[in-house]
Amino acid sequence: MAATAESLERKEKLQGIGCSRKRKEDPRFIQGKGIYVDDVKLPGMVYGALVRSPHAHARIKSINKEKALALPGVITVLTADDLKPLNLHWMPTLGSDVQAVLADEKVGFQLQEVAMVIAEERYIAADGVDLVEVEYEELPAITDPHKSMDPDAPIIREDLVGKDEVGHGKRLHDNHIFTWEAGDKDSTDAVFDKAEVTIKEEILNPRVHPCPIETCGCVASFDKINGHLTVHMTTQNSHLVRTVLAMLSGIPESKIRVITNDIGGGFGNKVPIYPGYVVAIVASIVLGRPVKWIESRIENLSTTGFARDYHGTAELAADKEGHIQALRFNVLADHGAFNAHVSATKWPAGLFSICTGSYDIPTAYVKVDAVFTNKAPGGVAYRCSLRVTEAVYLIERMIDILAQKLNIDKAEIRRRNFIQADQFPYNTSLGWTLDSGNYGPALDKVLKAVDYEGLRKEQAEKRAKGELMGIGISTFTEIVGAGPTKACDILGIGLFDSCEIRVNPTGSAIARMGTQSQGQGHETTYAQIIATELGIPSDEIQVEEGDTDKAPYGAGTWGSRTTPVGAAAVTKAARKIRDKARKIAAHLLEVSEDDLEWDVDQFRVKGVPDQVKTMKEIAMAAYSNVPEGMENGLEAVDYYDPPNFTFPFGAYVCVIDIDPQTGEIKVRRFYALDDCGTRINDMIIEGQIHGGLTEAFAVSMGQLIDFDEEGNLLGNSLMDYFVPTAVETPHWETDYTVTPSPHHPLGAKGVAESPHVGGIPCFSNAVIDALSHLGVTHVDMPHTAARIWKKLHELGVAK
Amino acid sequence: MSKTQVNFILNGQPVEVLVEPRELLIHVLREQLLQTGSHIGCETSHCGACTVDFNGESVKSCTLFAVQAQDAKVITVEGLVSNGELHPLQQAFMDEHGLQCGYCTPGMLMRSYRLLQENPDPTEAEIRQGISGNLCRCTGYQNIIKSIQKAAAVINESGHDEAKSA
Amino acid sequence: MKVKLEKTYPVAASADAAWKFLQDIKSVASCMPGAEITEQSDETHFKGMVKIKIGPAVASFKGEIEVQGIDAEKRELILLGKGADSKGSSSASMLLTASIRETENGQCELIGRSEVTVNGKMANFGGRMMDAISERILQQFADNFANNVIAMGEGSDAEAAAVKVAEAPKELNGIAIIWQLVTDFMNKLFGREPKSS
Repeated sequence: MAATAESLERKEKLQGIGCSRKRKEDPRFIQGKGIYVDDVKLPGMVYGALVRSPHAHARIKSINKEKALALPGVITVLTADDLKPLNLHWMPTLGSDVQAVLADEKVGFQLQEVAMVIAEERYIAADGVDLVEVEYEELPAITDPHKSMDPDAPIIREDLVGKDEVGHGKRLHDNHIFTWEAGDKDSTDAVFDKAEVTIKEEILNPRVHPCPIETCGCVASFDKINGHLTVHMTTQNSHLVRTVLAMLSGIPESKIRVITNDIGGGFGNKVPIYPGYVVAIVASIVLGRPVKWIESRIENLSTTGFARDYHGTAELAADKEGHIQALRFNVLADHGAFNAHVSATKWPAGLFSICTGSYDIPTAYVKVDAVFTNKAPGGVAYRCSLRVTEAVYLIERMIDILAQKLNIDKAEIRRRNFIQADQFPYNTSLGWTLDSGNYGPALDKVLKAVDYEGLRKEQAEKRAKGELMGIGISTFTEIVGAGPTKACDILGIGLFDSCEIRVNPTGSAIARMGTQSQGQGHETTYAQIIATELGIPSDEIQVEEGDTDKAPYGAGTWGSRTTPVGAAAVTKAARKIRDKARKIAAHLLEVSEDDLEWDVDQFRVKGVPDQVKTMKEIAMAAYSNVPEGMENGLEAVDYYDPPNFTFPFGAYVCVIDIDPQTGEIKVRRFYALDDCGTRINDMIIEGQIHGGLTEAFAVSMGQLIDFDEEGNLLGNSLMDYFVPTAVETPHWETDYTVTPSPHHPLGAKGVAESPHVGGIPCFSNAVIDALSHLGVTHVDMPHTAARIWKKLHELGVAK
Repeated sequence: MSKTQVNFILNGQPVEVLVEPRELLIHVLREQLLQTGSHIGCETSHCGACTVDFNGESVKSCTLFAVQAQDAKVITVEGLVSNGELHPLQQAFMDEHGLQCGYCTPGMLMRSYRLLQENPDPTEAEIRQGISGNLCRCTGYQNIIKSIQKAAAVINESGHDEAKSA
Repeated sequence: MKVKLEKTYPVAASADAAWKFLQDIKSVASCMPGAEITEQSDETHFKGMVKIKIGPAVASFKGEIEVQGIDAEKRELILLGKGADSKGSSSASMLLTASIRETENGQCELIGRSEVTVNGKMANFGGRMMDAISERILQQFADNFANNVIAMGEGSDAEAAAVKVAEAPKELNGIAIIWQLVTDFMNKLFGREPKSS
């Protein structure tokens, strides 16, 4: 049926899928009325502050609490010995290992948690920390993962000595965690042996940190009378946290409530469970009072949720025309002192095997070895799915290197290797089935928009004058939406997600999800989906997340899984309601269901335009006049287990100029085309892309969590750690194509991480392209002015 | 530790607090006066989440002791609404999607508020420079800049430029 | 983090005098700006402290000094100093090998080899200035050492040196060191040699 002007008007009023609806969250944020964890103040609340080790590797000889306890206002000081009787001094990690909650006889990284001082006031707790005297015996530290498996390397984890596996297969050394492989080694080696062209490069994804502006923290409140534990905390996945807390504490899961109101940015940093949370909870159980623990920025950067530290050796085999025949990537992964990497149980190296990218590579083999070092644990996916940035960085760098070696244009070599549109669904040689894609037209659109040929001409002219200009291309494919529960679980829980929708008698609705917004605007976009599916105006749909007592169980928001998994659950729950509404409408109109058609916000009898029942009327009827045998009410729950991941893609171009005197890089232009399938809210998508590109810029140009040989962090505050200001941040140009996912109920794929994942190699490719005529094939990130300046001197082109 | 009485004007209202000499203004605003709009994001005065307007200047309230606020005129994000109406900056941040997680937003708004008083018609470069003491991890600043430009245009047209408390 | 330095400083005195002074551990320790020996545990072990003044704040490092070797033939002394600040948030150690070598003019020079390791907060914050600071501290040590040795002698030079010894600051002045680093840097920028004192 053709849409009439009248029905289009009704549709517009709903503010459904596809409109740039203004955000529902904003009124509270712009008036300072958001509720972040540090805003939570409960009666009788006390404060916890952590005593931390100045050493990266040391034995604890003694801890003297007396001076701290003598300070007026200090209530107690907890150490590992105090947690031992409760069996809470160690906790399970998301990487199938265990981690010390408070250091048990030994510390394995600088600023590791040693004790918590609980005091009546925040300032007194901090004073108390200075008064706890800890005597250490320093041990030699390992900060270079390449030295972790040396025969005489100091053993970092004495608690694991004699254990030949830590959840993921055989260990080769006391400091080894696992070896993980994918693909066919023998046939890959065979292709390499007879290939016309092979290239090899050492490529590092350095250790970085997501650094959300709000640090991590919690308020734990244990009600001694009825045994209820309520924890307000900064978590991207409150349900999983609740399950872990139940496992850890022995408190029935039904008596634990995890509440997350507003979160000041997550970017992966707020996925794991940190010792601070656990100690605050124990303290609350012991004292029967609410305990607040809030990290400082230094603690955040030093101890929670770093990302990357993947040391890659990448190889490609190709023919002389640049057609890639095989890929071989070996990675040494630095996991720090405990294996707290966020990963699905069967995927200890995450989704790293997406590393064949957008290219038709017939044969491939990858291997990841993870080792312990004396660095902080907790490897998270910093605005990406698990280990996907690492994978995409390697392939997007390598294809550039291949182009340089064969003297083929960097856009052309991509075209020659792209998986073609008619090959989808495409099975990669490392076992993934890419759902949909259309790479060539996306790249062509971008190249035209930036006048690629003109840029290459300009570059040639500049080179003749000794000027350094670089053009970076990245044509990436992401894997998001973990994930099919057959393939993915964390601690045994499948990575489905959920939604529960209730339509009230007067036609408004409340919806609750297992996901968790950290600024992505779920309250806005979820309502748009329901509006379109149910014909209820967005403004009359209340969306709630982040309270485990209210929302159905879900795995939370990380790895761009909200749209691929959460939004699918929302859609399916809404459709269940619409199915019931159809039955009620048929009953009210006294026709058969087949005689009805859906029109924006009403069912009507086919061919009889004035025979209609609006969703509002149906909602009321659901509570008063349902067909015989039907239950009253209008609500549905859906637990969505995706049949596959989704595979968003994009084509980016970056143009830079390097100042030969200072090494400073100026980003002249950045053009980003993203294809995330069906688009729910353009305004929000664009905002996500701006943010992701800015984080990509930060990673490639300056972020680094660096250590000296003794395990000291070299710069762990915002004095040193690079967070770009408005001055450094480039202007972003965005564009899109739409290639829907065939298996997602809306065709949507997820977008927030693409700009980070695709942006990082694009910047690096631009920087190296600027130096490629000098024989440079690779330089590691971050591309700070100082490092580039040094490189220019090595190359003899500094001015 | 002995406490000192401090009196100042907060969002147009006189307030009186008892503070330790070492207490930072941000803690007193948030914990005693329960104005939790201003946030804390670092301890080195880099992030700007705690920015407030202090005697007509943008100040990071984590770098001031509360005792320094004696007789001062302080405006926080809670004081931007006047007569129940949003300040043009607040409206523009909503309209132009100038915020995501909202954590840096109060500081960003207070800095922008003062920036537009210092320079009612700033260029993009001047805005970038002007807000460079405030970090945002979500937006990439582009829509924040658009928001400030839009607010500037509205203010210049209507003459609306004062928070109720100013 | 670790910083290794090797420097040679001329001393306007005889090698014998310098070597005699070098064996007096207490006095040698006091040449370390801000350092003081508070207790002798045995022949080769001493307890002491270093005071560092940064603006109004004075941090004190408590530690131990161990004489790891005295070689009269080589006129060489090896000292290991270790310490931690009283709050336990930073620690430092210094392995110092000091030797005296006769020069052609009948005087001598002090050869200082130091390996300074800093851990904890000081490394987190001060890391990027460590090289320059270590050099500056070693320079002050050498100046104090030379003055002390000269003051042992007679005549106007000795008297002048004794005055300098008496006037030497009793704590390591962080701000003064940083200021000097800045002026050295500026001098280098404008092509001047850094001042030697």
